[in-house]
Amino acid sequence: MSIELAPHNKRGLSLTSPLIAGSGAAGFGADWPTGLGPEMFGAIVTAPVSLHARRGSPQPRLAELPGGYLLATGDHNPGYRRVIREHSQLWRSIAGRPTSRVGTGDGQPVPVVVALASSAPEDWARLAAFFEIEPGVAGLELSLPHETGIPAASAWIGAVRRATDLPVFVKLPTVQARLLAEPSAAAGADALVIGTPPLGACPAAGGGWVEAPVSGPIARPFTMQALRALAVRGCPVPLVAAGGIQCADDAQRCLDEGAVAIQVRSLLWVDPAAAARLAEAMRNPRVA
Amino acid sequence: MIQTDAELIERNVAGPTQELRLRAPPLARQLSAGQPVLVRTGSGGNPSLRRTFYPVAIDDETWTLRLQPSGDWGHAWQRTIPVGSSIDCLGPIGIGYAIPAGVRNVLFTGQGEAAWALLPLILLADTRGLSVTLAVEGNRARDLVPAQRLPHNAELHLATLDGSAGRPGRLSPLLPELLSWADCAMAAGALGFYEELASAADASRFGLRRGFAQVLYPASFLCGTGACQSCAADVAGGRRRVCLRGPVFDLTELRR
Repeated sequence: MSIELAPHNKRGLSLTSPLIAGSGAAGFGADWPTGLGPEMFGAIVTAPVSLHARRGSPQPRLAELPGGYLLATGDHNPGYRRVIREHSQLWRSIAGRPTSRVGTGDGQPVPVVVALASSAPEDWARLAAFFEIEPGVAGLELSLPHETGIPAASAWIGAVRRATDLPVFVKLPTVQARLLAEPSAAAGADALVIGTPPLGACPAAGGGWVEAPVSGPIARPFTMQALRALAVRGCPVPLVAAGGIQCADDAQRCLDEGAVAIQVRSLLWVDPAAAARLAEAMRNPRVA
Repeated sequence: MIQTDAELIERNVAGPTQELRLRAPPLARQLSAGQPVLVRTGSGGNPSLRRTFYPVAIDDETWTLRLQPSGDWGHAWQRTIPVGSSIDCLGPIGIGYAIPAGVRNVLFTGQGEAAWALLPLILLADTRGLSVTLAVEGNRARDLVPAQRLPHNAELHLATLDGSAGRPGRLSPLLPELLSWADCAMAAGALGFYEELASAADASRFGLRRGFAQVLYPASFLCGTGACQSCAADVAGGRRRVCLRGPVFDLTELRR
């Protein structure tokens, strides 16, 4: 199986499985739960990286909702220099690692996509230039902030496009996916990730409030709605479904609605065994 | 860390609390006091987050979790699940307590429900022939580890805010004397309690040195691998992931 996520990019980015470990599912690529590893996925997306170190949000960061949760990390990361210093060797190792355990076993590498922090999109072009020369990096993922308008999205994506030849995936807020999909593709996005669920606010168990996009199974209807809307209109670039996918049936519905790949994150955190079953099923999604 | 289905083999009910004994040999053999286990509390993925439990008893085959009085819907599911059921467990997480070599007098101290996490370590210290003292405080007697759960040789000091057990009020007046007796201390409570413990150690031991006291950082966890960053807290000189660096820290690492 080979899925091309960046068909219009000269570097391209092909997957041997449609299942992608979504942004930060395994941290920067090293924090795998029991029974899972990069070789079980078509690609992995790192946790968000910013130009400068960010301490992220103070506690509380986590609040539970019926059917999901809110997680506000505030793009906590040590900055691109330290991320590259500490992880570039691992990325090269993953990128050169053949899929073996549940992959197709055809010796294809596992691409590593670096997510750029959504809290500072004005830094994306500079960051893109730094990651352009990292041999273990196969692409970049830009997560557009909520309430991004078309001019800002076009400007940010266009700046990244001019700074790098790497495949660029743009993660859209689900509520604005219809609005932003075509302008994002026109500005240079190689694929669209659908998407970042709506924001919510909830009191945390120990006091204080958490404000963040909803995560977990509760996010799935938002993903499906945006995906279906884009599928009806037609989209000039490949679509990747992300948000609330818990099992092979969920993944298959996304593929049936026009996605070429699926990102999972919460599932790796909450139920690694279920993620392993999904990885196994995604070896042959039509059968699953 | 492993993910395994544990069999619920025993349920002990004591008023509003319950203790569930779970058979999970691979997990129990890896587990030590102060290491949390993330437990699925529901079916069909609801609630979606696991609940964090610290073992109150561990042997080769089983470990025991304690359900404290709460309105939590995950705990409510656990209160009613039949004996013989399977419960999905993920653990152990992070670094637990470790009794240093060469110590003789060990002080265990804590607050209310949190102090139950010390119980497996107290039993371990007793089997090693160490002198054990437990000093706990709580709002009322029912919050505290009861004397009958302790080894015969253990000394027990209690303090309750309502005066229903031990000395009325806080434990803090007792801490200086107990700390000067101890070769090391193991604590489980709130962050404010640890500040008091550090101040008392400063005063009674001419300074708090690294290696003297281990404390359990009060946190709940989502993934347990560090990936989600939900447990990141200001500890050990920076904003750290508690599941990787802890949840048991040296007391000096919690000082601001």
